[in-house]
Amino acid sequence: MDHMTSSSRTQWISGITVIVALFVLPVLLNEFGRTGEYWIWVSTEMIIMALFAMSLNLILGFGGMVSFGHAAFFGVGAYTVALLTKKADIPFYLALAAAPLTAAITAAIVGWFCVRLLGLYFAILTLAFGQLLYMIVFQWYTFTGGDDGILGIPRPEIFSPTNFYWFCLVLFLICFFVMRMIVSSSFGLSIKTIRENMERAKFIGINVRRYQLLNFIVAGAFAGLAGGMLAELNRFAQPDFLHWSESAEPILASLVGGMYSLAGPAIGSTVLIFLKIFLQQIHPSMVELWAIVLGAAILVVVLFAPSGLVGLYQNICKKFQS
Amino acid sequence: MATPILSVENLSKSFEGNQIFSNVSFSVDQGELSAIIGPNGAGKTTLFNLITGALVPDKGKIIFQGRNIVGMEPFDVVRLGMARAFQRTNIFPKMTVFENIVITIITRLRGNLRIFKRWNSSKKIERQAFEILESVGLAEKAHQLSGTLAHGNQKRLDIGVALALEPKLLLLDEPVAGMSPDERWETVELIKELWKKMNITMVFIEHDMDIVFGISQKVRVLCYKSLLAQGPPNEISANKQVIEAYLGEEV
Repeated sequence: MDHMTSSSRTQWISGITVIVALFVLPVLLNEFGRTGEYWIWVSTEMIIMALFAMSLNLILGFGGMVSFGHAAFFGVGAYTVALLTKKADIPFYLALAAAPLTAAITAAIVGWFCVRLLGLYFAILTLAFGQLLYMIVFQWYTFTGGDDGILGIPRPEIFSPTNFYWFCLVLFLICFFVMRMIVSSSFGLSIKTIRENMERAKFIGINVRRYQLLNFIVAGAFAGLAGGMLAELNRFAQPDFLHWSESAEPILASLVGGMYSLAGPAIGSTVLIFLKIFLQQIHPSMVELWAIVLGAAILVVVLFAPSGLVGLYQNICKKFQS
Repeated sequence: MATPILSVENLSKSFEGNQIFSNVSFSVDQGELSAIIGPNGAGKTTLFNLITGALVPDKGKIIFQGRNIVGMEPFDVVRLGMARAFQRTNIFPKMTVFENIVITIITRLRGNLRIFKRWNSSKKIERQAFEILESVGLAEKAHQLSGTLAHGNQKRLDIGVALALEPKLLLLDEPVAGMSPDERWETVELIKELWKKMNITMVFIEHDMDIVFGISQKVRVLCYKSLLAQGPPNEISANKQVIEAYLGEEV
């Protein structure tokens, strides 16, 4: 037991250090003028995408359900903020609060059908629903602006780049702790139990579909919040937010970061965005290499660190201890 | 006379035109410890699948504690008080032994929706889990990943998971399959002890005739798509039809 408390203490200390560093980061970046401001914007995007990746991992890593349509809920959240602020003049905070709700409702409808299927069939159906929603948004010019998207989302005056960064960071941390609470609760254990052995889960009395659906809705709600935040960061919403390629990003992030830990997908997402921007900064034409770099990174992870960066880190820690 | 806890009435089931059962009827008395035997392919496991709701019969009724449970989902049947342990070990391999039992207790108490407290925060559930682990002899391995247990211990855990449901009727599908001879008798003793102590009705499927005739009060023989015979072990081992069909000459 002593060992456990000491390791959880180091966990808390390193966690608090990271949080403090994240809060101080924009203050430091502000010293670097325009480049600094750009990196504040990038860091804000990283935080938002980290939340999106973690939301997917509730169903992917903890629930064992592969969804190729998670971006649909992300996009619904983004369009909720865009439409409510732009067309209904609702204040940003209220619009952002509505984003997880509309995303959750969408997830409830989509999920109700999807959880009836298993494995690959489930994945394909999520893909189909995701693309269906994408096409609706893409073509419904009078409501969603079609392929133009919705531009010029108003920005509350208080949100300087630094303030908006802090705002997103606080929201992210709240979500992080809520998700942490969820995965370590009885509900979280039920979800893991279903992942481990769905058949047996039924025979201990778990209504498998119901808990898969609930988990799907919760994950959708967090994705919707992340989408709403991204709409505000970019000040636009576009159909691409719902596209299946957007759904792939949190999957890759979870693979790279490690899908059996809470923070893994967030770390994976941040690393991938950093790599991409880093390539861009070396030379704009290097972006064309991105697919190759990404492919190589995934290959290395799958072959040599199947439990992702977090798993790798844990293994190294174990080696040093023994 | 004891009242039946389970009655199967005119049960029929076929797969793609292959008749597995036709008009099987029997009833299991409250508190009995009984066995189901039959040659390979006689449909013993299928019978358990039908009783527990994993399969839906083509025809017939399954009355559990006075209620027809045909068409109910397995998780609802479990909640009525029927548990089962599996022929091929069926546990949650990447969870610890302790977690396997605790999630079962949480589910029995219908606490799966609790999100504000950690799953391991209840001392009461922890105590219950350890009582169960003691009773199946796995308390010392509580914090081991269950997938890393030896085969025999995994089967015991499977039984432990079933017990954590506090069932009124427990179906055991070849509880000692794949075990060494020593382990077998240990487990058989364990089952008998649990049956005596916990006042559960138990029905088990088994191939080992020494075990079947050693501990069961009643034996049912499945053969030729139907129930060939049922009765106390001494009657069954003397039954001509059963000997011809299944047991062979030397019994």
